[in-house]
Amino acid sequence: MRRREIVRALVVALASGALTVTPVVAQPDPVEIMERVDRLLRGDSSRGVATMEVVTENWEREITMEMWSLGTEFSLVRVQAPAREAGTATLMAEDNIWNYLPKVERTIKIPSSMMGGSWMGSHFTNDDLVRESQLIEDYDIEIAFAGDRDGDDVWEFRLTPKSEAAVIWGHLEFRVQQLDYMPLWSRFYNEDGELVRTMEYSEFTEFAGRLVPAVMDMQPHDKPGERTTIRYEELEFDLDIDESFFSLQRLQRRR
Amino acid sequence: MAESPWSRIGWRNLGRNRKRTVLTALGLAVGFFAVVFIVGWSQGLMVAMVESATSLVSGQIEIHDAEFRPERSLYDTIGGRDGTDVDAMLAALDADPAVVAAAPRVYAGGLVSSGDSTSAGMLMGIDVARELGLTRFLNELRDGALPEAGRNELLVGEEMARQLSVAPGDELVVVASGADGSMANDLYTVSGVFRSGLVELDLTFVVLPMGDLQDLVVLDRGRIHEVAVSTADPWIAEATAERLGGAFPATGRPLEVVPWQELNPAMVEYVALADAMYFVIVILVFSIAIFGVANTMLMATYERRREFAVMLALGATPRSVRSVVLYEGLALGTLSLALGAVLTFPFMIWFHEAPPDLSWAMSDVTLMGALLTPSLRVEYDVPFWCGAAAALFVTALLAALYPSWRASRVPPADTLAGL
Repeated sequence: MRRREIVRALVVALASGALTVTPVVAQPDPVEIMERVDRLLRGDSSRGVATMEVVTENWEREITMEMWSLGTEFSLVRVQAPAREAGTATLMAEDNIWNYLPKVERTIKIPSSMMGGSWMGSHFTNDDLVRESQLIEDYDIEIAFAGDRDGDDVWEFRLTPKSEAAVIWGHLEFRVQQLDYMPLWSRFYNEDGELVRTMEYSEFTEFAGRLVPAVMDMQPHDKPGERTTIRYEELEFDLDIDESFFSLQRLQRRR
Repeated sequence: MAESPWSRIGWRNLGRNRKRTVLTALGLAVGFFAVVFIVGWSQGLMVAMVESATSLVSGQIEIHDAEFRPERSLYDTIGGRDGTDVDAMLAALDADPAVVAAAPRVYAGGLVSSGDSTSAGMLMGIDVARELGLTRFLNELRDGALPEAGRNELLVGEEMARQLSVAPGDELVVVASGADGSMANDLYTVSGVFRSGLVELDLTFVVLPMGDLQDLVVLDRGRIHEVAVSTADPWIAEATAERLGGAFPATGRPLEVVPWQELNPAMVEYVALADAMYFVIVILVFSIAIFGVANTMLMATYERRREFAVMLALGATPRSVRSVVLYEGLALGTLSLALGAVLTFPFMIWFHEAPPDLSWAMSDVTLMGALLTPSLRVEYDVPFWCGAAAALFVTALLAALYPSWRASRVPPADTLAGL
């Protein structure tokens, strides 16, 4: 993967007429890198099985779910276990979220006032699910640091909301490994500049020929000891699905 | 009053021009009437407001786990995770002489959905029979009937019913976070629609039997969030709360027993502000009256300049002349008060016992969590009446002060000579 990057840099350098002997030190474009990281994690479309472990002060639980995504706008998540909740599904299409509740056989649309509420009891909000994909649109991205951290070459990005963006964060920080474009962590700060939560990525694993972090761990800083961990067990990319897959009919289908 | 000749002269002078005396006394009497009536009405409004705010939905005292407020977390139940013996707690409360009613409650946030519309709701689990004894908002349902336990029935507020377009008999999906982290959801039937008059309540509250809500959000029967208590009089709530605070057996976790004054400090301040305003009203009304009275007294003494001149010429001291006029003022005050009382009290009794209903002219008003039905009910306040009476006398005396001084300074020889 790195080789491809070098080749690409060379091509760019050649095309721009800069026939130098050290093409790789060209200043990287932060937006391009973030876009690339995002694409790595998601692909054009994907399907996977993951377990989500939620630990709170009051309870712990584990949910296994199957998830599909298409681009940044569409995704579908269906709970497989525990049995009591199997079939419960969430559909995200553009900025909307619907939940299907198999027990009562009803679909409900999450009202905009509840988008800040927890998704399936986790530390992710409904908003996270639809917003996470829009970092590049909503934020100005700059490289805050590039170089060695703990023996690895990394980039650290600082994302500040664009003035017109309706976002809840004051700013975000991202650390990405230069070697393989793997994200290491992202930190979310509120408007007072306080760290609100951290997402850590680990266990970089190859799924369908693509290296991705298999584990994502979210820790809210206002609730020490609590966390939500998502672990991918299966993941495949670039499936033959289109927007029509992400329909309310599909949401209600119980496999 | 007839002991000294000066007082007798003062009193008799009132009879000299009866029409004028009655008119002047009426000025003071109407002032007294205005003050007593306005303040009585304002106090009536305050009492209605406090009673409404403390009996509509919230009680006069609320008992929670110490951690419950202000987050109102699902987990902060009375007695913590182990819950409490709800029946024993209610029995202990019922045994307190100041407690009129006590009702347990369970709360959970959730989503309420019907068809394509979904709104955020506050689910309130109640003991229906006990709740009816404590609060008023369920007494007269706008539509339908009270929910029965174990039948997945619930009540929604008028505004929510309108937004979700549901009526009794319709189905609702309720989704909430269970205490075990699960996405609790179930199907319910709307048994009725309530109307509290408080928009935020009618829009967000969903009321269902306590056990049904506990089942939904996976809480044991012993786990409740609140016990609302009503006392015989809102103003004994503070003292009662303090007493109840020490009355419960240790539940393992500290309890918080809060009177309405603490839950609704804005209203306490409002009542205090109104109290302060009464003084201003008294000053305002009587300072208008004082000029009218002083004017009349000045006229009356001017007419009698010759009389005062004769008194002074016969050896009366200026001081005696002053006291004649001051006694006249005092007598006028007494007369005014008698007139004022005759004027005021029938009205007060009427407006206290059978206040005219103004609902034909204006609709209900909501103010700081209280629902007010427009009426002109007045409250009795004997200490204030005494204060107003004293203010009336002070006014009469103050009004007589300058005329009395003028009267005592009449030059006898010149005046009698007709100069």
